[in-house]
Amino acid sequence: MKPALLAAVVLAGTLGTLPSHAGPTQTAVLETYAAQAKVAEPGFAGFSVERGKALFLGRFTTGKPDTPSCTTCHTTDPRKEGQTRAGKVIGPMALSAKPDRYGVLAEAEKWFARNCDSVLGRACTPREKGDFISFMVSQ
Amino acid sequence: MQPRATARLLLIGDRLVNIERRSTDNPGRPPAPPTLLVWDWGVRVFHWALLAAVLLASGTGFLAPANWLNAHLIGGTAIVALLGFRLVWGWNGSTYARFASFALRAPRIVMHLREIASGRGAGEPGHNPVGAVMVYVLLALLGLISLTGLVVLGGVVKQGPLAGLTSYAVGRQWRGAHEALAIGLLVLIVGHLAGVVFESLRTGENLALAMLTGRKHVRAVPGVVPHRAHPGRAALLCAAIGLVALLGSVRLAALPGLGVPVLAPEPLYARECGSCHLAYPPSLASAASWTTVMAGLTDHFGENAELDAASAAQLRSWLVAHASETADTRVANLMRVADPASPQRITTTPGWRRVHGDVPESLFRAPKVGAKGACAACHEDAATARFDPQAIAVPKETNP
Ligand code: HEC
Ligand code: HEC
Ligand code: HEC
Repeated sequence: MKPALLAAVVLAGTLGTLPSHAGPTQTAVLETYAAQAKVAEPGFAGFSVERGKALFLGRFTTGKPDTPSCTTCHTTDPRKEGQTRAGKVIGPMALSAKPDRYGVLAEAEKWFARNCDSVLGRACTPREKGDFISFMVSQ
Repeated sequence: MQPRATARLLLIGDRLVNIERRSTDNPGRPPAPPTLLVWDWGVRVFHWALLAAVLLASGTGFLAPANWLNAHLIGGTAIVALLGFRLVWGWNGSTYARFASFALRAPRIVMHLREIASGRGAGEPGHNPVGAVMVYVLLALLGLISLTGLVVLGGVVKQGPLAGLTSYAVGRQWRGAHEALAIGLLVLIVGHLAGVVFESLRTGENLALAMLTGRKHVRAVPGVVPHRAHPGRAALLCAAIGLVALLGSVRLAALPGLGVPVLAPEPLYARECGSCHLAYPPSLASAASWTTVMAGLTDHFGENAELDAASAAQLRSWLVAHASETADTRVANLMRVADPASPQRITTTPGWRRVHGDVPESLFRAPKVGAKGACAACHEDAATARFDPQAIAVPKETNP
């Protein structure tokens, strides 16, 4: 495991000390999800880069058949460009490779709503969203 | 400048007459080659340039893929220009270039046919009466093909001087005529070649060679009044007609294309419907298709593409207001009728399938394309909804 990733796992949960490329806008989005997660899960103890990575790489059978995984469109390497099923290029998901990611809550919400439904067949929880973004800002 | 040019031309004219005089009146002098300059340079250049232009236009028209349209248009424009020149030269060229020297006269045609039938008669300096018919029919046919082509270009492709005046339906109708006339031209060209071979064998004069050198082994016919060519006058006339035609065409071509959609940018649409694929121009599908698409965004071709209700409502009315029914481009007409089994699809409409019938299926899955719906991968102007044939550039298939 890369040192950065290791550090992220260790430090995950304490916002502000995230070993990440997160700027103020990304931190604000993460704080919003953290606040929502505390309400949704009483035992919420912070986001996890590891869980975010697992969500990203995982394969699911509960969603739509053409989209079993986030990697269907985003590829397994977050720093690489992805491609939609309609052929259009998707910019990299890693914040280091595309610094304007995860800075606008409404944008993130829109895509979580769509993509989680397509892949998982349900909405993502605030914790899953925070995990996912934590993983991506660490990349 | 002017007098000197005239003097030289006079000389050319004189030489034509001199040849006869030398060979008949001056038997003491060494006999000049018993040939007569029949086809002046104007006729010869016209003939061979026309052949090249017709080969280009018909080759590209019958055989080339759609994105060769510009080569076809160059061929067609050259034909129109050459026809214009020939009309002028028919009154300003030398003796046998003039229409008066091969006017259509039924009795002469009949007489000529009788001569052929009875094996009598020799070659003529200019066009023989039957050949003359062929010349006029070929010229008229080329004129008609050019005219119908211009209507097709305007109505179907929405380009050229008639784009602002011609509907797609009219363009489609004339397309049939354009193609039928072009086939007729090929048939006539075969007839023309057969006539040249036949007449060459019959008279012993290589007529194809004569069209190259301009000379025939014949005597001037006493009745024909010799005429000098007037290149200066012809050039002036050509320049004047050409200028009027050019200015007129440019003026007309500046008119907005009839039924070509001009949309103000809709940022909401570009953002919400342009993230997974090309923000399909609304003229690519019917109002009914757009309504179906917008009603099913949570299960959008196997994906969730949902939108907040307000944005969805706004986009639906915008799409319906600019749907294919409101446009008259080729793409709008082709894609107006949806496949009943998949009314939301553009790429299953019979029209789409027809124009892409020759595109190999594997090309749509090539990495640089990805899907049939990735119009912009092959159509550089996809975002403008024009889909001009000249803007088709299929990416090279990359096999990793
Ligand atoms: C069907 C293809 C597809 C799948 C599968 C998919 N995504 Fe996406 N995702 C997209 C597209 C397209 C975008 C928007 C394009 C862009 O922002 O460059 C996007 C954007 C996002 C964004 C917004 C990023 C930002 O800039 O704010 C997030 C978050 C996201 N996806 C998460 C996920 C997650 C989590 C999964 C798996 C559960 C997933 N995606 C699966 C296509 C997909
Ligand atoms: C989340 C990604 C996504 C978004 C957002 C999206 N689409 Fe699509 N769209 C797709 C996919 C995937 C296809 C099917 C591609 C395929 O099967 O080749 C498609 C296909 C289409 C087609 C049919 C294309 C064809 O192949 O004939 C139309 C029309 C269309 N979308 C319209 C829209 C409109 C209008 C919007 C905005 C309201 C929109 N799309 C937003 C993903 C999306
Ligand atoms: C893989 C490349 C490719 C893709 C993707 C593609 N096309 Fe085409 N298209 C072509 C080619 C090649 C032709 C010309 C075929 C020919 O030579 O007759 C063509 C022809 C056309 C024409 C006729 C143009 C004319 O006037 O001659 C239209 C209209 C058109 N396509 C629309 C579309 C639309 C709309 C889409 C997307 C939904 C699309 N195409 C996607 C390759 C493509």
